[in-house]
Amino acid sequence: MASLSYSAGAGGGGRAGAELMVPQFLLKALHAILAVRSPRPHAPPPPAASAAFRRRDRWFHLPLHDPPPPPAAEHLPEPSLGEPLVVDVYLAPSGGGPDEVLERWTVACEPWPSPAAAAAVGEGLAVNRAYKRCITLLRSLYAALRFLPAYRAFRTLCPSGQVYNYEMGHRVGSFATPFSRAEEAAMRTKRLAPVETQLGRLVVSVQYLPSLAAFNFEVTSLASAAIITDYVGSPAAERMRAFPASLTEAAGPPFPQPSRRPNSWASPAPWPHTLGQPAKFSPPPAHYASPTPSPPTFGYLHSRFSGETAPMSIPQAGGGRGTVHHRNMSEPSRAFMFSPPSPKNVRGEAGMQESPTETSRSFKRADGIRMGDLYANLPSGSKIKDSRDESGRFSGVFSSSGSPRLGFSRSSSRLSMHDDTDDADFPFAVDDVDPDSRPGSSGGKDTGDQAGSSSHKSQDAAVGYLVHLLKSARPLRDSSYSSHTSRGESIEAGSTSSFMSRRTSDALEEFESFKEIRENLLARSRSRLQDSLDKP
Amino acid sequence: MNCETCQLKELELEPTEIRDVLRCILHTIFFHRTLSLVRPKDVDCDFLEITYVQCGLPELEKEVDEKIDQFTAWVEKHPNRRSQICLSFFDEKQTPSPKRYSKSNSSKGLTNIGANALEETSTRRAALESSVNEVLFQIINFANEKKDHIPAIPDRIFNHEIMIPRFLGLCCPGPIHSSRHLGGHLSSKLIPLILEDT
Repeated sequence: MASLSYSAGAGGGGRAGAELMVPQFLLKALHAILAVRSPRPHAPPPPAASAAFRRRDRWFHLPLHDPPPPPAAEHLPEPSLGEPLVVDVYLAPSGGGPDEVLERWTVACEPWPSPAAAAAVGEGLAVNRAYKRCITLLRSLYAALRFLPAYRAFRTLCPSGQVYNYEMGHRVGSFATPFSRAEEAAMRTKRLAPVETQLGRLVVSVQYLPSLAAFNFEVTSLASAAIITDYVGSPAAERMRAFPASLTEAAGPPFPQPSRRPNSWASPAPWPHTLGQPAKFSPPPAHYASPTPSPPTFGYLHSRFSGETAPMSIPQAGGGRGTVHHRNMSEPSRAFMFSPPSPKNVRGEAGMQESPTETSRSFKRADGIRMGDLYANLPSGSKIKDSRDESGRFSGVFSSSGSPRLGFSRSSSRLSMHDDTDDADFPFAVDDVDPDSRPGSSGGKDTGDQAGSSSHKSQDAAVGYLVHLLKSARPLRDSSYSSHTSRGESIEAGSTSSFMSRRTSDALEEFESFKEIRENLLARSRSRLQDSLDKP
Repeated sequence: MNCETCQLKELELEPTEIRDVLRCILHTIFFHRTLSLVRPKDVDCDFLEITYVQCGLPELEKEVDEKIDQFTAWVEKHPNRRSQICLSFFDEKQTPSPKRYSKSNSSKGLTNIGANALEETSTRRAALESSVNEVLFQIINFANEKKDHIPAIPDRIFNHEIMIPRFLGLCCPGPIHSSRHLGGHLSSKLIPLILEDT
């Protein structure tokens, strides 16, 4: 397995390195473009400074996991080496109408014209040298995306609770309809210095409108409000965790999973690992941890491609802005362009549309790697944050005072607090409990004849009694009481307080009984001690 | 000195614009010349509708801000002077062989305020944005065209030095222009130079 190390320079290894590096560059370029040219319903949160890098992020030393690529990018075909990657960014009137291209990005690896040319140019070209130049090239692309006028339009159209009279969309493919003369004249072109690799020259260029003054952005309406029922702090969002089965067999079914809600503050990151699984509060998986500083190895790509899970679909809020994505998704004829174009297709809009057969063929591509697979773990930085947030949020349940469940007695809350740490850490001191002294206990035999062993036995019995008590304790979430019921109806103060008082009274009773047991045990110990001292 | 020179476009700025523009240009240079792993961070200029990218390195941001503060203080003490900032990248293997970037900046204060001041300001602001954009794309072009001399990818940022005007008389080999403008205009211009050792 070759590695893209600093010392790699051999021709054979260089070509293998280039064959892995060039597709990665194309993908990264596409990700960088779509990240700031595809407005999404919810603005992603800024990346955490302490977010760990995944190995894939380290390609070209430029992590792009935040913001994640738009959902449409998951279904795009993998850019191939021989074909250019063409991305059209356009503005279209919200009410429908012809769109106008603001930018056309072209990222391509132009193969060498002949093997001799490739040998002459590529011979001795160290792959690490090409990789280093690709770093600079990608940085330039990343920066240029923000310097061009379309970026301001993107920022304007990004979610702000308003719907504008224009929508920004994109088309990705390997071919684009040539501009008309008038369009060509109105556009400017910037070409970045190409990078030579063993496979060809990596070229990045952009045709763009130098001014967007012709587009008068106006707010047409406010975005439709979305009622979020499971807001942070609501009972639906912060469910109490169940006791482990070892403590209470009478506990109800496991708590339902936290619903994935499209919070404006939450990153729209897929959670493939949490769906359908019990809530876990363990640290993030090891492979999400920050890798070593070395560049990614080639073998990493294969393993990642085979083991990825498909990301879940990101729920789209209502509103006009979402139609851009619907347009891209529901009109595959405009979403994909395939080469090679026949001359008759290079005409107006015909070249940008494809027949339904081609559409189905594109979706049925067996070879190649779906970009969705590559992007499956893209927002893992967000995943890390989300998992941590999830655990933090659940731990906050026990510290917040908003949930009525926290009105339980201290013993109950302490029990729940200890659930996630150690099942054996009982909140009560084991030595203080004597099940023999419990009123009505079946094991109440006087074992005063044998001081040491009987004391030990009584302590063991006390422990066993305590365990039995806890196992048979009433669950904190009574099956006759449903949190949904309390939430569905208006939570009346009377029912809540009576429920709380009932739980409190139960706990107080238990506390009193334990207190009696403890006093009995202490009395017994004192009497035994006295007896042992009195004995000759 | 055998090093590459990249000369950026001169800019004329008001005192309140110096910080914005300097940060934008310096960080763009660093973003292109920091080949180690970075955490790109988009930053909006305060007075211009320009968004640039920082490397996400707190120490670098602090260093840049400190140098800008020093330069701003120098400009306040030396009005009506063209000044220069040099950004140099050093190769450890070949010392002292500085690679230098320097950027151009100037401050301009308007003393005559008339009825069309706002319109003039907005027009001037738009022109300044266009000029800064040109400078930024100049940096992009230079960074991509001149990269053969860059050593192997390091695990940290290259050694560098930001030289502000008060140090230029000692070490900067480039020309320092000084001129005096009349009519109530404060002007200081920096001639940008990018010198790289080959």
